[in-house]
Amino acid sequence: MGNKQTVFTQEQLDAYQDCTFFTRKEILRLFYRYRDLAPQLVPLDYTHKPDVTLPYELIGSMPELKDNPFRQRIAEVFSEGGDGNMTLDDFLDMFSVLSEMAPRDLKAYYAFKIYDFNNDDYICKSDLEKTVNKLTRNELTPEEVSLVCEKVIYEADVDNDGKLSLEDFQHMIIRAPDFL
Amino acid sequence: MAAATGSAAVKTAKSCKKYRSVKRHANIYTYQEPPHSNSDEDISEEKAESHDPEQVFQNIQYQKEIMSNIRCQPWPMRQKLRALRQAKEIVLKYEGRLTRTRGYQAAGAELWRKFIRLAYNFVVLFIPWEMRIKKIESHFGSGVASYFIFLRWLFGINIVLTIMTGAFVVLPELLAGAPFGTTDRKTIPEDQVKSAQDLDTIWSLGGYLQYSVLFYGYYGHDRKIGKAGYRLPLAYFLVGMAVFAYSFIILLKKMAKNSRMSLASASDENYTFCWRLFCAWDYLIGNPEAAESKAAAIVNSIREAILEEQEKKKSKNLAVTISLRIIANILVLLSLAGSIYIIYFVVDRSQKLERTKKELTLWEKNEVSVVVSLITMIAPSAFELVAALEMYHPRTTLRFQLARVLVLYLGNLYSLIIALLDKVDSMSVTDSDVNYNASNFATLSTSKTPSKEDNLSTTVPNVHFKRNGIVTLEESRTQGMTVSDSLVNRTVSLSSNTQNPQDQCWETYVGQEMLKLSIIDMIFTVASILLIDFFRGLCVRYLSDCWCWDLESKFPEYGEFKIAENVLHLVYNQGMIWMGAFFSPCLPAFNVLKLIGLMYLRSWAVLTCNVPHQQVFRASRSNNFYLAMLLFMLFLCMLPTIFAIARYKPSLSCGPFSGQEKIYDIVSETIKSDFPTWFNTVITYISSPVVVLPALLLLFMLIYYLQSIARSLKYTNNQLRMKIQTVSTGKSTFTCSLVGPQTWEASLVIQITSDLAQNSESTRIQNLDGNDKRPEKEADISQESSARSSTPRKNGSVLNFESPVIKGTRIQTISQSVPQTVPSTDVARPINATPTTSTSLTPACSSSSIQKPRNDLITNRYPSVVHRSASDLSKTKSYAPVNFKKHTEDAHSEPLFRKGIRQVNPDASGAGAPVFVACRPYTTRYFLVNENETRKKSLRSTSRLQRHFRKGEPEGIIELYPRNIRRYVVRTPHQMYSPHPSEDEEDEEELGREFMNRSHRPRSLSDLRPAPRFYIGEHGDGHILMSKDLARVHYKSWDDGFELDLDRPPYAYKKVHLNYLEPRVKPKSKQKLEQSLTESDSISIESSSDPQNSGNDQYIQVIHNKEKYPKPGTKLNKKKSKNSVDLNMSEPNELVCSNV
Repeated sequence: MGNKQTVFTQEQLDAYQDCTFFTRKEILRLFYRYRDLAPQLVPLDYTHKPDVTLPYELIGSMPELKDNPFRQRIAEVFSEGGDGNMTLDDFLDMFSVLSEMAPRDLKAYYAFKIYDFNNDDYICKSDLEKTVNKLTRNELTPEEVSLVCEKVIYEADVDNDGKLSLEDFQHMIIRAPDFL
Repeated sequence: MAAATGSAAVKTAKSCKKYRSVKRHANIYTYQEPPHSNSDEDISEEKAESHDPEQVFQNIQYQKEIMSNIRCQPWPMRQKLRALRQAKEIVLKYEGRLTRTRGYQAAGAELWRKFIRLAYNFVVLFIPWEMRIKKIESHFGSGVASYFIFLRWLFGINIVLTIMTGAFVVLPELLAGAPFGTTDRKTIPEDQVKSAQDLDTIWSLGGYLQYSVLFYGYYGHDRKIGKAGYRLPLAYFLVGMAVFAYSFIILLKKMAKNSRMSLASASDENYTFCWRLFCAWDYLIGNPEAAESKAAAIVNSIREAILEEQEKKKSKNLAVTISLRIIANILVLLSLAGSIYIIYFVVDRSQKLERTKKELTLWEKNEVSVVVSLITMIAPSAFELVAALEMYHPRTTLRFQLARVLVLYLGNLYSLIIALLDKVDSMSVTDSDVNYNASNFATLSTSKTPSKEDNLSTTVPNVHFKRNGIVTLEESRTQGMTVSDSLVNRTVSLSSNTQNPQDQCWETYVGQEMLKLSIIDMIFTVASILLIDFFRGLCVRYLSDCWCWDLESKFPEYGEFKIAENVLHLVYNQGMIWMGAFFSPCLPAFNVLKLIGLMYLRSWAVLTCNVPHQQVFRASRSNNFYLAMLLFMLFLCMLPTIFAIARYKPSLSCGPFSGQEKIYDIVSETIKSDFPTWFNTVITYISSPVVVLPALLLLFMLIYYLQSIARSLKYTNNQLRMKIQTVSTGKSTFTCSLVGPQTWEASLVIQITSDLAQNSESTRIQNLDGNDKRPEKEADISQESSARSSTPRKNGSVLNFESPVIKGTRIQTISQSVPQTVPSTDVARPINATPTTSTSLTPACSSSSIQKPRNDLITNRYPSVVHRSASDLSKTKSYAPVNFKKHTEDAHSEPLFRKGIRQVNPDASGAGAPVFVACRPYTTRYFLVNENETRKKSLRSTSRLQRHFRKGEPEGIIELYPRNIRRYVVRTPHQMYSPHPSEDEEDEEELGREFMNRSHRPRSLSDLRPAPRFYIGEHGDGHILMSKDLARVHYKSWDDGFELDLDRPPYAYKKVHLNYLEPRVKPKSKQKLEQSLTESDSISIESSSDPQNSGNDQYIQVIHNKEKYPKPGTKLNKKKSKNSVDLNMSEPNELVCSNV
C-alpha cells in the first residue's frame, strides 16, 4: 500500500493526517488536485518540501471556488502571506477547514476571518456591505444594503460597539441551523 | 488596540497552556498563538525540570494533547506542522526516561493509534457512493445532497435488517429446514403447479414465490430444526421484534447525536438577518447555474426579510387571504379523505371481485397497489397547487406541504393496512365465523368448481386434525366439514382460484400485499423519474427551439429536485418495509436492492435533468427533521404489526407459529419448557403485577424527573443567555474605559466572556453535571436584574459550585489554580496569609498549598457543602454528587498547578499575578461559607428587595442604550458589601495570629472605602447620611451619563462619573493604591468572598484584577488605576439611585 506513491514520505503523510481532517488517500487526492492546477510548477516529489506557491488566479479557478463570491477572501485568509497565493500546506489547510469533519468552532473562526474584509478583527459595516454585495451580486439598492447591515449589527452585536467581534460572530453563528 | 489584545491573548493562552487546560474545542479559537515560541519555551522549561518523572509524564501528556488537537487549531499549516514536530520530538525524547512500563504503554498506544488510522483509512474506502454524493453536493449544494445522505443512511439500516433476518431466519430455514416440497405447506398445490410459473402468477407473488422463503407461510413450525436444534419459530419471533428494536435504537441514537451537535436550541433568539447573510452561501456549490440560482435566492430572501421587517404590521387584505386559506385547507382535507376513501374502496372492491370473479385481469390483481402508488404520486402535486392559494411565506408553505404529504402517506398506509386486516379478519378461522361461513356457503355454492370435490377429500382430514388439536374436541365432524367446506369456498373466491387451506395464511397474504406495494411503488418511482424528469428535460431542451414560447424558462421548464417530497417518499417507503418485515422476512433485502437502484437512478436524474430547488430548504447535518419524520413513521408502522401479532391467531396451516393461540406464546412456551425451573419462576415473578407496576411507576417517575430537570435547564439556559449579554456589555465597557496597560486585563475579560459564551451554550447531556452548576451560578447574576423567587436556592447552590464552574469552563489561568489553594486555606490559614503579604505571589504560596494532602481537600470541602445544604433548605440533593466529582477533578489538576507556577515565575510578574489574584479570592470565599451563614440570610433578603427595584428598570431600558452597564453596575455593590462583614468576622477569629493581622488590616482598610456606601445602597435608608448625600449627587451625574449614553459609546458615560467622583474618591483611592501595591488582590479576595453573590464573583474577580493588576506591575499609572477605582465608586451610587 505504501509503495505506490513517492510524493510524500510516510512521516509527512502522518503529519498531514495529524494536522488535517483528511485520510491519507484524500491528502493524496488533494495533492493531485493541487498539482493539476499547474502541472509545470508543482513537482511530483514533495519529500523535500519544495517551495512552490500557486498564484491566486489558479486557485480561484478551481471549480470548488470558481462560483464562490468569497473566493478571493477565502484564498487570502488561508494563504500564509495573506495575498491569496497558496502553498500546498495552505491548500490542504483550506480544504481541511472547509471539510465536513471540521468542528463548527473552527469553521466559525475562519468564517469570521473571511467576512472580515479589512482584517481589523472586527466585522464592521463596510465589511458587511461588501459581504452583501458579493452575495447578491450587486442586485440590491444601496439603501437596502445599508438596512441589512444595520439589521445585522443590531441583531448580533452584543456589546454595542457598532461592529461584530469574533465573540459576537461566534455566538451568533454557532446557533445558526444552517451553518455547516 | 487590536495588537495589544492579540499579544495579551497570547500571554493568556500561554499560561493557559501551562496549566494544560487546552480544551478540545470551545476555548481554543479565541487565541491566536504562534506555537513556535510557545513550544520553544516549553522545551527549555522541560529541560530545566525534567528530573521529576511525574513532570515529564505530565509534559508528555500535554504534548500528546497538542498532537491530538492540532488539527482543530486555527493556525497555518506550517505552524501546525512545526508544533506537531516539536511535540513529537519531546514525546520521543522524554518518553524513554520514564519507567519502562510507561514506555511500553506509550509505544503500545502509538501502535494502536497507527492501527486505528490505518483502519480508518481503509474503512473510508468502503463508504458507498461517497464520490457520487460529493459530486451532487458540489453541483447542487448541501440540500440535495442531504437527500442522498439520508438515502445512504437508510440503506445502511436496511443492510443491517437484512443481515439480521437473513442470518437468523432465512438461512437457517434454507439450510436446515425441511426442503421445498417435503411437507404440505411447502408444496405448491397440484392444481396450481401448472400456472405456478406463469408470469402473472409470479407477478402477483403467487406460485413459486408464494411458497418460498420470501413469505411467512413457508417457514416450518417444527420447534427445532437441524442437528443443532435451531429454534426457528423462536428466532423468527425474536428477529421480528429485533427489527423494530434496532430501528428504534439506531434512530434515537442518531437523533440524540444530531441534537447534541446542534446548539440551535435557542430558536427564540432572533438572528434573521445575520443568518440570512452569513449562512446564505452554500460553500459546496460549484456549478455556475446553481450559483446563479443561489444568488437569486439570496437576493429574494434578503428582500423578503426587508419587506417583512418593514411591513410587519401592515396586513394586506386579511379577509381574502383567510378565506383563501380556509378554502385551501378544506380542499386538502377533502383530498385526504378522498384518497383514504378510494383506497378503502379499492381494497373492498378487489375483495368482492376476487369473490365473484374467477379470472382476474392483471389490472384487477394489482389495482390496490397501483391506486395507492398513484395517489402518493399525484396528491403532493395537488397539494402544491393548493398551497399556492394560501400565500404563505415559502418556508411555511414548505412545512404545510410536508405535513400534508406526511399525513397523506400515513393515511394511505393505514387505510391499506386496515383494509387488509379487515380481510384478515374474515379469513382467519374463528368460531364466530361459522355463521358467516354458512351464509357464505349458500351464496357461493353456485360458484363451486369441480375441482373442489377432490380437494375437499384431501384437505378435510388435515383441517379437522388441526382443529381438534387446538380448538375443541367436541366439534363434530360435520361441523368440521362445513368449516372446511366454507373455507374452501372462500379461498376459491378470495385468492384467485387457489383452493387450498394453505391459502388461509393471512400472514403470507399481508406480506404479499406489502411486497407488491413496494414493487409497484418502485416501478412508479422509476416511471416518474423517467417521465417527469428525464423526458421532460429532453423535450424542454430539444424542442424549445421550435416552440412558440421558451420552454426552458416558461411552462414546463426543467424538473426541480423536490428534496422534501423525495425525503418523504423515502420515509414512506421505509414505513412499508417496517410494516411488512414481520410477514415477509425478505422485505428488507428487497428494500436494499430498491434503495441501490434508487440511488443510482436518482443521482443520474439529478445530474442530468434537474435544476436546483428554488426554495430555501437546506438541511444541515444537525437537522433532525428527516429523522423525526422517520421515527414517527416507524412508530406508526409498528403499531399495525404489533396489533396484528397481538390480536390475531396465527394461521393454522402455515408459518412457524401454526398451532399456537398467539404468536408471542412462543416465548413463554420456550421459557417454560427449555429453561430451568428457577428461571421460569423468576420470570413469573418479574412479569407479575407486583414487579411490573412498581417498575412502571418508577419509569414514570424517572420521566417526570428528567423532564423537570430539562425544564430547569432550559430556564437556566435562558437566564444564562441574558447573562451573556450582560457580561459582554460589561466587557466592552471595560475595554473602552480602561486604556493602556489595562487592555491586558480587558482582553482577559474578553476571553473569559467569550469562553463563557461558548461554554454556557453547550447544553450537552454529557456535560450535565458541569452544566448544572454553571447555569445555577450564572443565573445568579441575571437575577440581580430580574428578581426571581428562586434566589435562595440559587445562592445556596452557587456557593458550592463556584469552583467547578470556574474550573470547568472559563478562565483557564484561574481555574486551574483555584482548586489548589482552597485546601490550604481551608485547613490552615497561616499558609494563606503568607502569600497575601508578599507582593506578587511567590512559588512559596503555591508550594505550601500543594503540600496539603489531597485528603484534606476533600474532607474540608465536603463538610462545607454539607453545611450549606443543611442551612439552605432549598438546596437539592442532586448537587452533592456533582461536588464529589469536582473534588476528584481538583485532585487531578494538582500537579499541573505546581508546574504552572514554576513556569510562571520566570515570566513577567504580570503573567503570574492574575493567577494568584484569582486563586486567593477563592480561598477566602470558601472558609467564609461556614462562618457567615446568618449574615448572609439577612443580606439576601435585602438584596432581593433591591432586585425588585432593578427589575423594572434595566429590563425595560436595556434595548435602548448600552444595555448592561447598569446591570453590571448593580452587581458590584453586592459583592462589595459582604466582604466587609466577613472581614470583620475573620479578624475577630484570627486575632491571635500575627501574620494574619498583618495581612488583614490593610485589606480591611482598603475595604473600608467601598463598604459604607454599599451598606447604604443595600438598606436603602442608609445608616450613614453622608453617603446618602453622596448618592444624590451622583444620581444627578448618573442622569447625565444616562442621556449621553443614548448616542455615545459606553465609556463616555463612565467618564462623566469620573469627573464627578474624583475629588471625593481621591483620598481613599490613593491610600488604597499605596497598599494595593502589595495588597493588590486583597480587595478582590474580599469582594469575591461573598458567598451570596458568588455567582458574580467570577466576574467581579476579573474586574478587580483589571484594576489591580497594573498596580503591582506598573506603579506609574496611578491615574489609570484611580480611574478604575472611580469606576467602582460610581457603581454604588447608581445603585442608590435605583433605590431612590
